[in-house]
Amino acid sequence: MNKTFTRRNFMRLAGGALAATAGARLLPSSFNQMLQPVAVVQGAVPDPDLIFAGTDGWIALPVNAATTTIFHPDTLAPTPFTTYIFGFRNVTGLDETQIQNQKNKAQHSAPLFWTQEGVPFHLKLMNLGLAIRPDLTDTHTIHWHGFRNVIPFFDGEPSSSVSVPINRDFTYVFNAHHPGTYMYHCHVEDVEHVQMGMTGLVFVRPAQDGNTSFYPSGKYVFNDGDGSTGYDREFAMLLTEVWAESHWADAHIQLPEWSDYKSDFALLNGRVYPDTLAPNGSVDPFNPVTEANGDLSIPPAPYEHLQYQPLSSLVTCNEGERVLLRFANLGFKQAAMTLTGIKLKVVGRDATFLRNGATDTSYLTNTVSLGPGESADVIFEAPAYVPHVNGYNTYLLYNRSHSQTSNRSNGGYGGQMTEVRVYPVGGVAAQTGPNT
Amino acid sequence: MATFINKRLRWGLALCQLLAILIAGAVINPQPAAAAVGGDGIVCTTGPTFSLTTQTGFIGTPDDNVVYMWGFSAGGGGFQHPSPVLCVNQGDTVSVVLHNTLPEAVSLVFPGQENVLANGAPSQPQLSGSTITSLAPAAATGGSVTYSFVANHPGTFIYQSGSNPGKQVPMGLFGVLIVRPSRNSATNHYVYQSGDNEYKVDHEFLVLLSEIDPLLNQAVERGRPFNLNNYRPRYFMLNGRGFPDSIGPNFASWLPTQPYGALVRIHPYDATNNPLPALVRYANVTSQDIPFHPHGNHARLVGRDGYPLEGTGGEDLSVEKFVINLGPGQTWDTTTDWRDAENYNSSSNNVPVTVPNIQNMAYGTFYGGSPYLGEPGPQPVGSTTLNQCGEYYILAHNHSLFQITSWGIPMTGPISYLRIDPPLPNSCP
Repeated sequence: MNKTFTRRNFMRLAGGALAATAGARLLPSSFNQMLQPVAVVQGAVPDPDLIFAGTDGWIALPVNAATTTIFHPDTLAPTPFTTYIFGFRNVTGLDETQIQNQKNKAQHSAPLFWTQEGVPFHLKLMNLGLAIRPDLTDTHTIHWHGFRNVIPFFDGEPSSSVSVPINRDFTYVFNAHHPGTYMYHCHVEDVEHVQMGMTGLVFVRPAQDGNTSFYPSGKYVFNDGDGSTGYDREFAMLLTEVWAESHWADAHIQLPEWSDYKSDFALLNGRVYPDTLAPNGSVDPFNPVTEANGDLSIPPAPYEHLQYQPLSSLVTCNEGERVLLRFANLGFKQAAMTLTGIKLKVVGRDATFLRNGATDTSYLTNTVSLGPGESADVIFEAPAYVPHVNGYNTYLLYNRSHSQTSNRSNGGYGGQMTEVRVYPVGGVAAQTGPNT
Repeated sequence: MATFINKRLRWGLALCQLLAILIAGAVINPQPAAAAVGGDGIVCTTGPTFSLTTQTGFIGTPDDNVVYMWGFSAGGGGFQHPSPVLCVNQGDTVSVVLHNTLPEAVSLVFPGQENVLANGAPSQPQLSGSTITSLAPAAATGGSVTYSFVANHPGTFIYQSGSNPGKQVPMGLFGVLIVRPSRNSATNHYVYQSGDNEYKVDHEFLVLLSEIDPLLNQAVERGRPFNLNNYRPRYFMLNGRGFPDSIGPNFASWLPTQPYGALVRIHPYDATNNPLPALVRYANVTSQDIPFHPHGNHARLVGRDGYPLEGTGGEDLSVEKFVINLGPGQTWDTTTDWRDAENYNSSSNNVPVTVPNIQNMAYGTFYGGSPYLGEPGPQPVGSTTLNQCGEYYILAHNHSLFQITSWGIPMTGPISYLRIDPPLPNSCP
């Protein structure tokens, strides 16, 4: 890839040898054999496609009379933030100093990324430790939720495989054979680390992509052979939740009683409405943009508080276009995403094409039910533009479970809610990436 | 916060291994036809005539609490939780004699069964004036009722108390009824009478999901009232156990009243030597939706609530999912296998990464020490593993994650493992 990786690889090996040497001095010589720095490698090992770092950090959720409790906003939170999180950051391309700078600068949701069917994907995970909780020496992992025929070594479930201690790294290899929408999360102390925000959406592009004979865009959800899952624009919609007490508890060295769980804030791509409409920060995983110190940039006013919540949920499209919504629910509660006034076609569930041989099992609906851990690939066709002073028509996409769109306010409009804006033909330029 | 649970695991599983040896044949309780004592998989109480007697007793939870429960036992056995898995064949006339020893009336309902009779008459809701008193004719304290029906279609079903069910079901008066299709032979087992749903003989597993509010059980034990509006489950159970008890063997002696394990144990798919999937039957007796997530591979959902997923013309409507979402009282029949997609091995096809030094990784309690199936590797100095022969363990759990806890202890509750042994012949015990 670039010089940074070469240097890092060198540094890591040198560091490993150093540590092994230092450790060996403390132990009987018979152990030396077990302390050799490098295990078996066969053939060339490519540089990672992406490098993520696990750490802690802060995000901003609404503060008002309805949301304020002893748990929210957290009194430890630096301005303009409110809520302590654990999370991942994309540190691809950063140097070692820049990477270390990202401790306590996690983002939520975790970086959106995608892979190509049949192409092995190398994802390196580093553990930077927790700045606010140095007493917690938790390891981290990447669990690709729903990955078929995984081996435990790459499943990230720490009891049956390995996990990544602080200041160590590990590279996962995902050779995805099945396109569709998945999710990923840390599986260490699953209840806590998932609730704290180590959650992201990942999808697999089908081998059929690029073939324009079925659909003009050449973009498909599955290898449908007939263009039925072709689309023009795609938007990832990761559903997560924040139980303010548990986040507060982690920052204040307390333990919550999990069976008291409440979804205080229901998030769409790490934000609550109306922040869900705010522009993207750096969200292209393969071309990340950072400040010189490696940090995410502070967004322009009035969105300064969304520095660590970079992913927008605003859907813009032109009339007549097919729009793909990739839903995944890593909250703890059932969700029901509804789009007012536009029918939804569910073409995939749990990264499975809804077609059995010749039998089409896809279905039309206006509400997509999503249990915790479920995903859905949903396509709608943007209706004709009706002239409006805004220059676009607005359709609300929201969780019909109204308690998840409240931001704790009675009858409030918040939480897992966003807008679909339909423009006249040519109103919006072609998409440069998901959620743009 | 990983230390605590690891300690629990090590203790629990060290005990597992020790006691698995001790109990190889010895059963503590006079339990129902124990086809798989000490092993894995569904333990059937076979009919079609059953005698179920209410019992009271105690179970252990992952936080070392002991909880008072009610239950049914078969044929004069002692208290067990959950109640026996009743197995019958399609077409059987099933007869269940209920004997009630509890201080309040108890009945049985069989959701999914048609034309159920109670003492020979249609089983109907019981009314006192216009007030319902029971979903079915009930046995008074010391009394009996005989329920009967023809098990006319195969599948997985729940049976439970129909009296004061908001209290009696959480107290433990529930169990699973399995109806096997008549097309089964000694060598070919199917989930349903029609469709492509053959599974490997003796590879049939149960995921029965329940929950407990210990304050309800305490009130019942002490004969005190309990306001069900205050019901708040604190324990979430899998086959009547919490993790890691859930992966202990059937009839584990240290769980004398919780006989059913939930470990799913298979070999990798092989077109020649192991072509058939395992069957996992799911049932939810709670009053909420439960999203159950098996890692490792999608489950193929072949039937729901005792009906195969097929169209009116016999079209296969089964679907592969990575989450099985169970509504209250719902059952799913799923088949599952695991395929060695990359065939990683140490001799000719290494994992395409530099495996970090052993000190630079944290090893899990079940990790075999190498990425490779059937190839145990070194463990960190001073540590031990519960891995026996390089087998793989792949997790399966409720993904409403606040429910994989036990009144304050995270990473317990409804969690189990899929154990994948290396292809035969292997060195696994």
